[in-house]
Amino acid sequence: MDRRQWTAFYLSTPPRLPLTSVFGHMINIDHITKIYGAIRALDSLTLVIKQGEVFGLLGPNGAGKTTTIKILTTLSKPTSGRAAIGGHDVEREPLAVKNIIGVAPQEINLDKELTAEQNLRVYGMLHKLENLGQNIKDILELAGLSERSNHLVRDFSGGMQRRLLIARALLTKPNVLFLDEPTVGLDPQVRRQIWDLVRNLKENGTTVFLTTHYIEEAEALCTRVGILSRGRLIALGTPQELKGEVGGFVLEYQENGNTRYLLCQSREEAHRLSQSKKGPIIIRESNLEDVFIKLTGERIGTD
Amino acid sequence: MFAFYPVFLREMMLFRKRFLRLGYFFSAMFAPLLYLLAFGLGLGHRVSIAGGSYLDFLLPGLIAMSSMNNSYTWIATSLTVGRLHFRTFQVFIQSPVSPGAIVLGEVLAGMVRGLFASSMIILVGFFLGSGVYFIPLFMPALFLNCFLFASLGVVSGLKAKSHEDTATFSNFFILPMAFFGGTFFPIEEMPRWLQFVIRILPLAHTNKLMRAKCIGSDCLLSLAVLVIFAVIFFVISIYLVRTYSE
Repeated sequence: MDRRQWTAFYLSTPPRLPLTSVFGHMINIDHITKIYGAIRALDSLTLVIKQGEVFGLLGPNGAGKTTTIKILTTLSKPTSGRAAIGGHDVEREPLAVKNIIGVAPQEINLDKELTAEQNLRVYGMLHKLENLGQNIKDILELAGLSERSNHLVRDFSGGMQRRLLIARALLTKPNVLFLDEPTVGLDPQVRRQIWDLVRNLKENGTTVFLTTHYIEEAEALCTRVGILSRGRLIALGTPQELKGEVGGFVLEYQENGNTRYLLCQSREEAHRLSQSKKGPIIIRESNLEDVFIKLTGERIGTD
Repeated sequence: MFAFYPVFLREMMLFRKRFLRLGYFFSAMFAPLLYLLAFGLGLGHRVSIAGGSYLDFLLPGLIAMSSMNNSYTWIATSLTVGRLHFRTFQVFIQSPVSPGAIVLGEVLAGMVRGLFASSMIILVGFFLGSGVYFIPLFMPALFLNCFLFASLGVVSGLKAKSHEDTATFSNFFILPMAFFGGTFFPIEEMPRWLQFVIRILPLAHTNKLMRAKCIGSDCLLSLAVLVIFAVIFFVISIYLVRTYSE
């Protein structure tokens, strides 16, 4: 998937609908709350995402990331609050919203009994896409699945299914692409491919909204990151800004068999503090996990 | 205008895949043929209903029952599994198609399934030398019956909280209706109070129309009952898609 191919693909037919965003705001989330029974999945989430941003919502499982995507993609109605995509209210103008978004959910919801081509054809027809045959051919080539066009999705590897899922979301050249945990369970090589793909989208001006609980993923891809914990947005900024807030360096040391973390402003400070610590120590640059730990006292959790 | 088509097409693609497996075809045809053989052979010689042979009575009943079962089950199962397990239904919700188009596509797919099963029994009937279905209201009744129960399948497929839910609904509603709704014996054989209950259910009216056991306004009433049920289920389906929220 090299960049020239991407650019050619996007220029061949520009996005189908004019952007109707207000003041360059592509996604507006205004005090969204979602309550399931006794659980407050989202608590007054407010967020503005500009056109062309790659925004990452970071947080542990159950923080409300998927709920946010479901509400923005019209799959779930908020208990209170409002949201708009490209200036269209998700509840009042759902069809207008659906016309400009693409969604790759966490579960691979392709029809596994059908072929890759059939999956894309049905999806393209649902979106009333013109020149469908050529578009399907192009997107399958970009996803590196041309030879698999007429194979059943059931026979695809996990990485191929994930690529097809994202390809399907891109078939309509959406203005906003939602990726819910796009690389969960994938091997590092496939993960890199998907990262490259997202970077290429960024260059084409597509707004990307992704969720992840992988720290490196958020740092590698996102222009801005929001940290979600128990339904609340507890931090928001560029990865650099957020890491700056906790100090640029971390001293890890052992105490009573537990790993402790000390946030430091500089490497020198970390060195100085490490003098008094016994046992093995690590001094490293801070990452978003440290931000999360500082704010919540918990780990995001890696797997 | 044809916004329903991709929804319908997808179900047909899946249907074709399954249809091409022979085992599936036989299992779909097994139940009606079993009823036909068991009841037809077991009772056929001794029983004659309204001066006609039992086979002539049984065939339209089996067609009504099969069209109901197939239209309903296919769609109820497809939606329940697609919504809860594979989550493919969510693709429709997230696509720019109206709720009406989604429902229509699913209902038409259910009808194809029901009409297919019916045509198989009609074919069997041909070989057995029965010609009972050459009556004017047979086809409209069959189409309405398929439409109605496919719509009910959408309702049940959208409301079910698990796959077991659809099976439970089928056991408590669809199956009793098949047995009491005039498939195997005339409703008139039942106690009067039960007849009253049965006449509220749609399948009894399909059976009546398919056997032309009505004349004039009586026929219209039965047709009206089917149309009303069809409209109610269809409208509820659209409402459920429109208000769909996870």
